[in-house]
Amino acid sequence: MIKLEHITLCYGDKLVLDRFSLELPAEGLTALSGPSGCGKTTLLRVMAGLERPEAGEVSGMDPARAALLFQEDRLLPWRRVRQHITDVLPRSRRGEGERWLAFAELEGEGDVYPAALSGGMARRLALARCAALGGEVLLLDEPFAGVDRTRTARLLDRLRGLGVPIVLATHQPQVLAACDAVIALEGPPLRRV
Amino acid sequence: MGMNSGIKKVLQAAAPPAFWLGVWQLAALAVGRELLLPGPLSVGARLLALAGTADFWLSVGATLGRVLLGLGWGALTGTALAFLTHFSPWADRLIAPAVRVVRATPVVSFILLVYLWVDRSAIPWVIAGLMVLPVVWGALSAGLDSLDKKLLELARAYRFSRGKTLGLVYLPALRPHIEAGLLTAFGLAWKSGVAAEVLSPPARAIGSRIQQAKLGLETPDLLAWTLAIVALSLALEGLLRRGLGRGRKL
Repeated sequence: MIKLEHITLCYGDKLVLDRFSLELPAEGLTALSGPSGCGKTTLLRVMAGLERPEAGEVSGMDPARAALLFQEDRLLPWRRVRQHITDVLPRSRRGEGERWLAFAELEGEGDVYPAALSGGMARRLALARCAALGGEVLLLDEPFAGVDRTRTARLLDRLRGLGVPIVLATHQPQVLAACDAVIALEGPPLRRV
Repeated sequence: MGMNSGIKKVLQAAAPPAFWLGVWQLAALAVGRELLLPGPLSVGARLLALAGTADFWLSVGATLGRVLLGLGWGALTGTALAFLTHFSPWADRLIAPAVRVVRATPVVSFILLVYLWVDRSAIPWVIAGLMVLPVVWGALSAGLDSLDKKLLELARAYRFSRGKTLGLVYLPALRPHIEAGLLTAFGLAWKSGVAAEVLSPPARAIGSRIQQAKLGLETPDLLAWTLAIVALSLALEGLLRRGLGRGRKL
């Protein structure tokens, strides 16, 4: 199990996590659902080690070995699509570039720059880059925003095939239905419904 | 049609310089004394004569060497200081005001001061570098301040090494700032370097030749050397622009 215990975090005066505790399965797909701004993104950032809570701890996973898909694509405008993948691969895995382009269904787009991609394509590239990073846990923030339903279903299958625990924040009913566990949240401060 | 448009293009390109050369010639005729204002023909003839001597090219080479040396040390120091003041608030408090003072100080004051401190032959490249440093520092500091923090966070979250972060995030994002800073700095280095040569004339330099022409009241020579400076500056700036443009395509 991945455990978050008594996590407290403030942004300035705003209390986002107030002694928040949660247990998450260390396998399969787990969805975090809840209204925008309730604290899902903050929770994922804490799990990825990007936010240092004032109190509490995360156990059952190493934040330094997690891979976070940010809510925004965060593509580098000056790097080609293929380079986004190879940039995160270690030297020994550089040959996997095409495999991850196929994962994102971007085989024909390897040589273009992000400006030439549609919103959905950019999201798929960001997702493939995160998955290619090879984290022991994947933390995905709105991974299918702008991606059509058919591709979303295929991507969910491919993600499941990676065999690592995946925690994702989403509003999409299709994605929620495909997950092994759904945790409904509300806030701030964040709490289970 | 094609020929007509070709002629039109040539005319459009030639008309402005022809106009100004005409104004210059008319002004020279109106003044009527070559000592005060020689016409473009006599200056052009003098420039051609100078360009046929070895001394001309040796002076040009020596001046160019000093300007590039100044540009080099000024740009490298400005870059290092920009990173230092960006990452260290203490360094920023300490160094930023000093760099601003350097930027605001008239070049003549520096030339006269540096004259007391370093060997005469070193003055032009020291001065050129001093003029370049604050420009490069300012351009890079602005670039560093405007860097997308989300991309830097991505680099950290995706465990990029420092070298990789520098190569994949910092340098591409800073590139437009580096280019703009270098182009401005190059013009400044050229002008301040030659000005320093005039005031501290080294044995072989464009500035020294300008000084000699002034002392000998050889106004056509003075203008011929000035024309040479302008032509070299424009040509080298063009080369620099092409070089930077080519780098962008790679």
